[in-house]
Amino acid sequence: MKSLNLLLFVVLMLSALFLVRTSYEARRLFAASERSQNEAARLESDYQRLVAERQAQSTNIRVEKAARERLQMRPISPAVTQIVQSSTVAASRGGVRP
Amino acid sequence: MKMPRFKQGNKATGGQRAVTYASSPLLASKTPLWRSRLLVALVGMGFCALLGRAAYIQLISPDFFQKQGELRYAHTLELPASRGQIKDRTGHVLATSVAAPSIWAIPKDMDATAEQKRELAKLLGLSNAELDRKLSASTKFSWLRRQVDNDVAKQVKALGLKGVFQEGEYRRSYPEGEVAAHVVGFTNLEDNGQEGIELAFQRDLQGHDGTRAVLKDRLGRVIEDVGQRTAPRDGREIELSIDSQIQFFAYQRVRDAVAQHKAKAGSAVVIDAQTGEVLALANYPSFDPANRKNLTGNQLRNRAVTDTFEPGSTMKPFIAALAMDSGRVTPSTRIDTGNGTISIGGFTIRDTHAHGNMSVAEVIQKSSNVGTIKMAMQMQPREMYDMFTQIGLGQKPKINFPGAVTGRLRPYKAWRPSDQAAMSYGYAQTASLLQLAHAYTVFARDGELIPVSMQKVTDPVGGTRVFTVQTAQAVRQMLQMAAGNGGTAPKAQTQGYSVGGKTGTARKLEGKVYSTSKYRPWFVGMSPINNPRLIVAVMVDEPSAGMTYGGDVAAPVFSQIVQQSLRLMNVSPDLDVKSQIIAKTQAADAERDDL
Repeated sequence: MKSLNLLLFVVLMLSALFLVRTSYEARRLFAASERSQNEAARLESDYQRLVAERQAQSTNIRVEKAARERLQMRPISPAVTQIVQSSTVAASRGGVRP
Repeated sequence: MKMPRFKQGNKATGGQRAVTYASSPLLASKTPLWRSRLLVALVGMGFCALLGRAAYIQLISPDFFQKQGELRYAHTLELPASRGQIKDRTGHVLATSVAAPSIWAIPKDMDATAEQKRELAKLLGLSNAELDRKLSASTKFSWLRRQVDNDVAKQVKALGLKGVFQEGEYRRSYPEGEVAAHVVGFTNLEDNGQEGIELAFQRDLQGHDGTRAVLKDRLGRVIEDVGQRTAPRDGREIELSIDSQIQFFAYQRVRDAVAQHKAKAGSAVVIDAQTGEVLALANYPSFDPANRKNLTGNQLRNRAVTDTFEPGSTMKPFIAALAMDSGRVTPSTRIDTGNGTISIGGFTIRDTHAHGNMSVAEVIQKSSNVGTIKMAMQMQPREMYDMFTQIGLGQKPKINFPGAVTGRLRPYKAWRPSDQAAMSYGYAQTASLLQLAHAYTVFARDGELIPVSMQKVTDPVGGTRVFTVQTAQAVRQMLQMAAGNGGTAPKAQTQGYSVGGKTGTARKLEGKVYSTSKYRPWFVGMSPINNPRLIVAVMVDEPSAGMTYGGDVAAPVFSQIVQQSLRLMNVSPDLDVKSQIIAKTQAADAERDDL
């Protein structure tokens, strides 16, 4: 009887220690996941910002200016356009009419 | 044994040793038993009271302390939802939310040195005096700068100042800037739409913040989730009918025309004749929606939608169409315009030139006031009124856009003969440029009026019939003549695409009289004429560099916009173009075989 009590006591102590350890581990993991989530949110908002910045760098105004001034390009006109007529393409794409 | 001896000793050495307490008479008397019992009882009662209190706090009424405890470690965090993006029809972003932290301070907690304050002011783009003013406004809370750039926020954080904090906020970013400013609009600091699409679709764009209950430790770190978590709902994405490239062209051409003709302002509307989608809606002067300092109402006005004017000659084709539809005339019916003057109800109306006897088609081509009045005066006022109403004049445009105006169309019962005559050539009534462009869909769509839309349309649209197919086609031929050589707007012609349209030039009202020096020229037209794809309306306000007629000022803008837009939309030219390239027929054949 006495040894059984002792055994149960030891088991209880071990279980208690294990509980302490598990809850510590749970908190640690929670903190880690929290950190990762914050990081993910930060990166996501950074991404959005960079997309917006990239777009601000590639607006029509900028592209047109660069094309005209730096690359010496000029707007195309029907006179320098060759139209490829194809009834099948027109039918499948819907947008181009012969 | 010792006691008696001690007592004896005391007696023997009394006076020499200090320890005399044993001989205190108080000790000599016996302690009554009740005293010790009372003490035990009091201590016991004390314990009982504590136990009772503990039981009360923990078992019977734990709410108060539990609540107080929770206040100290449980927190509800807000999970911010982001506002929906606004995109054009090709997926190009016109408005998006980016993180922009706001900097705030608790002034009484700040212990920054003068040097640090100077640095902070410099980072925030404030003068030292401004920063001091903000800090002295309140001791508890003060915004230093709302919505700064991310980099600035990082640098402020790096300063490590006590009492200075950051709050995560979002700011709208408008990559297209001034080009689409009037369409997209903008939001205020609280992320609520104030103008344009941002205002019109506020309910859809707006996100709904979520919440999350957590436990925090004494250092403020989140250690556990408790209770339910409400996920944030992001705002819906809005896909507009606008094509940012066409929008850009339209804006650029209008801007150039305003500069060239030293005008006050200009607008252009481009509508897809097949779907009723607004592909571009440009106004100049414009503004940068991201930087709205020193903004004037002049820049803010979306003239194409909010400004009304007398539509003038652009109304004449509708009168001709009504006259043809009711069987009163055919395109070749001759009308005698005499010497180019006519008197109605005491008013004399003149043509710019005397054209004599001409056909209905020529009346439109030459824009004869007298010819149009002669057609209109055969009609009942009611007929004209019904037709005007059907094409949307005097009606609020069914478009989800703030500020769209109704224009003025008086009820036909109040018309005098001179009013009816004036309305036939577009005076005594008002409409916006958008309404005019919309009305012209009846000609482009073989007599049907289709609704216009600012959002992308995927399903085929149905219209309401106003004129017969034959009438609409006949009017299109007249419009082509008007934009051709011998018409009023040969400058509307493009390379490769057939066009048709009508000019208008109205003198502006100054008080109650028409100005002799201030004009408003415009042009509404469509292309390609046999199967119209685009309707473009252009208006320039008060050109002052010599040229004032719609055919000289607005028609060239129309021509450039049409040419570029149709090319962008992959519409092949319907007119022969003298090619400047040597056709590589072999290569083209090979390509055709591949497809």
